[in-house]
Amino acid sequence: MKMIRNRFGNLSRVSVQLQRHVQQMATSAAVAPAEGATINEFRTAVANPGEHSALQLAKFYTIPAEQKKQIFTGGGLPKQYELQIKTFTEACLMVRNPALELLEYIKGADLTKPVVRYVLYGENGTGKTLTMAHVLHYGALNDFLLVHVPWAPNWMKRPKEASNAAGQEGMIDLPFDAAAWLVHFKNQNGKLLQRLQLKTGKEYVWSKRESTPAGSPLLELVEHGIARIKYASETTAALISELKQLSTAGQCKVMVAIDGFNAFFHPITRIFSDNKQRVTPDRITLTQPFLDITNYDWTNGVCILSVDKIAMTEGYMDSYMPRYLLGQAGFEHLDPFVPVHVDNYTDKEFHSYINYYLDRHWINKTPQGFEEQLKFMSNKNPYSLMQLVRAL
Amino acid sequence: MALRVFSLNLVKTNRNLLQNGFKSPAPPTGHMAPAASFATEVTVQAAPAAVQKQKVSKAMRAYLKRANEHDEFMKTQHLEFQIGKRHLANMMGADAETFTQEDVDEAISYLFPSGLYDPKARPAMKSPDVVFPARKAAEFDETGRPFHSLFYTGKPNFFQLLHDIVEETNKLADLEERMLRRGNKPDENQKLEIDGFHLLPKDQLELLLVESIADIEYSNFCNSMDRLIASPYAYKSKTFIERFLKPLMDQSNQLEVPKPKIDGEGRQYITTYECLRKTARADVTVRLPGTGKISINGKNISYFEDENCREQLLFPLQFSELLGKVDVEANVEGGGPSGQAGAIRWGIAMSLRSFVDQEMIESMRLAGLLTRDYRRRERKKFGQEGARRKYTWKKR
Amino acid sequence: MSFLSRLAVKSSGFSCIRRMSVYPQHYAEPVVQKNKQIEQKSELAKLHHVPIKAAVNKASDTVFHDDTKEKMVNYITKKGNSALARSLLSKTMELIKRTQTEHMNLAKGDDKDKINTNAETLLKQAVENCRPLLQVTAIKRGGVNYQVPVPITTKRSYFLAMKWLLEAAREKERKVSLPEKLAWEILDAAHGQGRVVKRKDDLHRQCESNRAYAHYRWS
Repeated sequence: MKMIRNRFGNLSRVSVQLQRHVQQMATSAAVAPAEGATINEFRTAVANPGEHSALQLAKFYTIPAEQKKQIFTGGGLPKQYELQIKTFTEACLMVRNPALELLEYIKGADLTKPVVRYVLYGENGTGKTLTMAHVLHYGALNDFLLVHVPWAPNWMKRPKEASNAAGQEGMIDLPFDAAAWLVHFKNQNGKLLQRLQLKTGKEYVWSKRESTPAGSPLLELVEHGIARIKYASETTAALISELKQLSTAGQCKVMVAIDGFNAFFHPITRIFSDNKQRVTPDRITLTQPFLDITNYDWTNGVCILSVDKIAMTEGYMDSYMPRYLLGQAGFEHLDPFVPVHVDNYTDKEFHSYINYYLDRHWINKTPQGFEEQLKFMSNKNPYSLMQLVRAL
Repeated sequence: MALRVFSLNLVKTNRNLLQNGFKSPAPPTGHMAPAASFATEVTVQAAPAAVQKQKVSKAMRAYLKRANEHDEFMKTQHLEFQIGKRHLANMMGADAETFTQEDVDEAISYLFPSGLYDPKARPAMKSPDVVFPARKAAEFDETGRPFHSLFYTGKPNFFQLLHDIVEETNKLADLEERMLRRGNKPDENQKLEIDGFHLLPKDQLELLLVESIADIEYSNFCNSMDRLIASPYAYKSKTFIERFLKPLMDQSNQLEVPKPKIDGEGRQYITTYECLRKTARADVTVRLPGTGKISINGKNISYFEDENCREQLLFPLQFSELLGKVDVEANVEGGGPSGQAGAIRWGIAMSLRSFVDQEMIESMRLAGLLTRDYRRRERKKFGQEGARRKYTWKKR
Repeated sequence: MSFLSRLAVKSSGFSCIRRMSVYPQHYAEPVVQKNKQIEQKSELAKLHHVPIKAAVNKASDTVFHDDTKEKMVNYITKKGNSALARSLLSKTMELIKRTQTEHMNLAKGDDKDKINTNAETLLKQAVENCRPLLQVTAIKRGGVNYQVPVPITTKRSYFLAMKWLLEAAREKERKVSLPEKLAWEILDAAHGQGRVVKRKDDLHRQCESNRAYAHYRWS
């Protein structure tokens, strides 16, 4: 792993980083020679998103491998990005304006008031998911309980298995997906849950012989859902309602992050009921809890959602605006919300990204004027730039 | 091979004349070789009765008859043409005496307007010499003995020409040797200018020689002429060579470069309409003091998802180094992505001509940016599977 | 079809049938790259009076232009689908880069600088390493077809090298994709190992062993 750039005068952090670095060295086979105390113009040593400010705009900060494993194992970073991380042997995120804006809002928010919903929107490939990742990192470091759905349309379009719900009539269950989500939840929040010692408020009866009594730790609830896949969806619902109550009671802070939220309102899914009929999302048990938690009837938390064109099917991809993508029902559900626009790179960010690629030896062919050409070819769109640069 | 009518003994006396008739007309000025140089007419002269009659073969008689008829025919045609011209002049209210061929053409196109595509198919009134092709003069005398030594080749004029070329080449080679022995070099200032010229094309050479030529023979002619021209002392045979050179058009000054207009904000702009490529049609506007913004049908360059199409758009801008300095707006419809990209590329290149100097325009032309790409989808033919692909050949 | 062949014959030119083309015969080919234009300046000055064909769709004056890559894309193209071929080649380049970068990150100290991550130069090197210098042709003498070693033009040798690379890449299991296999083949060839270099060496060996028949070229 690349050694974190040392910042002069911050010895305590250095020692913490060094400890982590030693661990990383033990786990990985690579030995990177220290490059001295040089801070490249496109990197910043400030690793805590909470301390990012306008000074660090257009600069890259590294997410330590352990934290990345904790937060993002169940998803949350795009696949191409994961590949890049593997090749560059480090997880670097760029500090950009939408993320900074969101972080400011969150830091300055009054958590005693009802929950504020932030909606990230923008064209394809502008960086909505990575902005969310940035904010998630902040949340993880600042004792937020993360309720993170990496990509909601996965449940609608590629469910592992759909079965009839045990408890409710006419509803469809997604057992494996719910169980996978619970595993992801446990990964992200395991330590925090243990530290906070949260307990359930009421009793949950799953069947004649199984039940979870009131006052049992939340972790047990989660593990029950993972073990008994049949009741995974119901466990999720229970878990989320518990979280709402607990956060309103002030025992914990909750950060909800859902990518592709408009999938919950899009009428076309690929799930079919027993009589081969298409099922709309409101008949799926998993949508309910997440719609519930994005209401504004609880406090002490923050909701970050993103709406994406790709979450819809063909024919519904005309615009990237939230009103169009959410539809009437979704818009009413989310109204009022704070929209955050994620746009293409600015010149400075673009330049910084090129420098980063050069540093990582990813761009090898650098004839004169190549930067300008890449700028115009990709229109400074992050995704297009990544694709164009792949072959260079 | 038609014979003009000639008197029997006059032929013998005039044999030299006839022989030399097509060899040395007055040396032509300029590059236009007179088409009539190999075709001469000998007018009829009545023979006195006292001339001894000689035996005329059947073939000869047939020729004489045909030539007579042709002459009469031509005379009547000429007469009709003159009368027709006078009538036409009267109709148009112009002076009959000074009515030129151009006036005739104008009058005909006014009186008989035609929508036909091919100019040769439209109504025309031309002098009979132009309409009826030139024919050769007498090629052999009354005994059947040909005048030209190369008559029995079948194409005496052509082979005579080749012979001449070789003679000139040999002369120049000898000259070169003599000069080399003396230690002299060819005069650089007088070097033959062949850049703006090419050799006479096959059909025009045929007209010149009043003979039809095969493709191989024409290529032989081209090769020998090239060899002659390549000689360092070619300027000595300038007059000979220039008969067979034809000037080419100056390509880069072909089309006029339009002047940029000024729009409401004070920026210069040029719009190229009707940019076509395959089935796509585009209008492209290029504005000069700009930031490199590209908008197609209102969207930015991500209108094209394909990397190749985007490259095509940026190609003329990058080539002329105006990439971040102009704004491009395009409206395009029809066709697929590649056709649309090609149409816009041509539009941008044509518009950029107004903002760039002559040297750069020439560079763009050499890069193939300014040529209208007229290639269309080739149609499928019957008996074949596609445009070119034939059905699988089965032996049995 | 006779009437179509008659259509095809134009007045100039001495070949009997000329292929139908939108451009008349005297049109010249365009020179798209700016640096090539500067190189060929004197020849291009003669084209002042000659009309030029339009530049093809694939050609453009990018700074990233590379002749070898363009040729490679053409050879991968099937049924005119050059967009797909281009994307396959760019995936191949990406894979090469990734493998090389991973090697570089694992290497220690000095070795790091020796590892080349430039996929383009690696491709060029691979093609150079696989280029044959001679080829064998069958020449029939006295009823027997002898394999005679014969010199080869540069263009053909490059073509053969790239063709062999692609052939080797296409012999694979179903699950392995072309970019992957091609990336491995290119990396092997660039380091002088692998099937394609072996094939070239076999050809050279065959030429060497058939030296005795070389005079059959002129019989």
